[in-house]
Amino acid sequence: MNNHFVVGVFDEEAQLMAAVNETQKQGFQIQEIYSPYPVYEAIEAMGKKTRFTFAAFLFGLFGALGVLAFMYYTAVIDWPINYGGKPTNAFPSFLVVTIVITILVVTIASLFTFSARAKIYPGKAYVLPDPRSTDDKFVMVFDKSANDSEYQRLAELLKAEGAVEVYEKNIEPEN
Amino acid sequence: METKFNLSKRFQYITLSMAALGLIVIVISFFSDPDRAWANLLLNNYMFLSIAIGASFFIAIQYITQSGWSAMFKRIGEALMAYIPYAGIIMLLVFFGMHSLYHWSHPEALAVDPLLQHKSPYLNVPFFFIRMVLFFIAWMVMTKLMRKASLAEDEKGGLHFFEKSEMLSKIYIFLLALTFSLGTFDWIMSIEPHWFSTIFSLKNLVAAFQHGSAMIALSVILLHRRGYFKELNKSHLLDFSRYIFMLSIIWGYFGFSQFMLIWYGNIPEETEYFYSRWNHGFKEIFYINYLINWFIPFVFLLPQVLNKNMKVVMTICILLIAGQYIDLYEQIFPGVVHAPVFGLPEIGFFVGFAGLFLFIFGKTLAAAPLIPERHPYLEESVHHHVH
Repeated sequence: MNNHFVVGVFDEEAQLMAAVNETQKQGFQIQEIYSPYPVYEAIEAMGKKTRFTFAAFLFGLFGALGVLAFMYYTAVIDWPINYGGKPTNAFPSFLVVTIVITILVVTIASLFTFSARAKIYPGKAYVLPDPRSTDDKFVMVFDKSANDSEYQRLAELLKAEGAVEVYEKNIEPEN
Repeated sequence: METKFNLSKRFQYITLSMAALGLIVIVISFFSDPDRAWANLLLNNYMFLSIAIGASFFIAIQYITQSGWSAMFKRIGEALMAYIPYAGIIMLLVFFGMHSLYHWSHPEALAVDPLLQHKSPYLNVPFFFIRMVLFFIAWMVMTKLMRKASLAEDEKGGLHFFEKSEMLSKIYIFLLALTFSLGTFDWIMSIEPHWFSTIFSLKNLVAAFQHGSAMIALSVILLHRRGYFKELNKSHLLDFSRYIFMLSIIWGYFGFSQFMLIWYGNIPEETEYFYSRWNHGFKEIFYINYLINWFIPFVFLLPQVLNKNMKVVMTICILLIAGQYIDLYEQIFPGVVHAPVFGLPEIGFFVGFAGLFLFIFGKTLAAAPLIPERHPYLEESVHHHVH
């Protein structure tokens, strides 16, 4: 397992984006980008796509149908009670509960899906190449082993695009 | 950038002949079946009024939230709200149809009905019209001031007019929430004076906002196809669909809340409203109403591939205009006509009012530059891009 990385630190979003486009054009593989806020252009430029919304939709569909089936089973099939002269299948009144529980199912299932996909779990050691990316700096990380011979060229390229710092670092998970 | 809208002679001829044709049918139906004619008059006038009110509300919201994306389309909303004074004049005509539309205006009904007597200090003919005149004056003054600031900005420029418009918008939404709610109670809900629902006005205000937004989006798309608004892109369409999507959910939520509580409570004085809307052939309309105004926008504007598609958004906007008609038909006709009739008078009234509304819309749109050149957010609007 190689933990040797090249880290480029930027002051501005525009400089980061220029560097992202330029390094990709030159054939460097970006490992990861850390930014104080989400930069959608960077996500798009790295070619990252998400099917997360579709998963959430499926959770919602499952939740809604499940809750409706459960209420239908309890109120109509298993234990029918006549209250207020209404039909046992009091469908309009089921809907409110359905909406609320669907939201709950989507939220919790999405949380677990996201955690599993991003390999995040409680007590996991975090990886943060440069703590200033939680403050006001934009940080790009490259895998050094892959670009070892071209390290000089990469460093110059990042500097040319306006990086305030370029350095190498051994990144160990911290606790 | 195309800044001037050229109103074609053809558009004027078509809309004016629609209005003239409608007028003939309107006059005939007032002689043949006055009750039905008054119901149609109220329905169509209120429908186009609510589109105008919704469009003005849309503009006010854009100013308050300082939205950049919609700056380019501001003139569409301004042109739509030009109908408000005309709606006021036509609404005053209801004075001659009070006995057809409003059961509570009959002195003999009032004499034997303790509930109506209880409401009569508020719900009586003179006060009804005093309120109506006050509401319309308030809307006319506010929309006039907003339009004036917008036109002055074109001439002089500067941030001053933007700040002024923002201030006016802040006043306007509070004013509108109160006056339009009370107006809806007066004009639509009092058709059935024994029944009451507090969410009724909210539902109709949201319906106005929803259909006003749909009308703005539809106009923008149609003008784009004619060669105006060349800068219209997928991001604008996405934002329009977000508005329509969000408002259709709120509309459905309010409508369902109103229905569900009454259905569940099962108190006779409340259920009579839905009893008359579930019988005598109105039940299909009840379901079609939710299908068009909530289900179709909700399902078809949800996926990203559809809500950025111009044809899809346009189709849904056209459906929603029909949906507004159906929604009001369900609110007005069971109480006045007592039967789900649809024939020549309904078509004639709609065509007539649509002709008048579109003529005023076109005239106002051509009176000022289509693009507000000196709007501070114009650049942002032209280059609008969302992910």
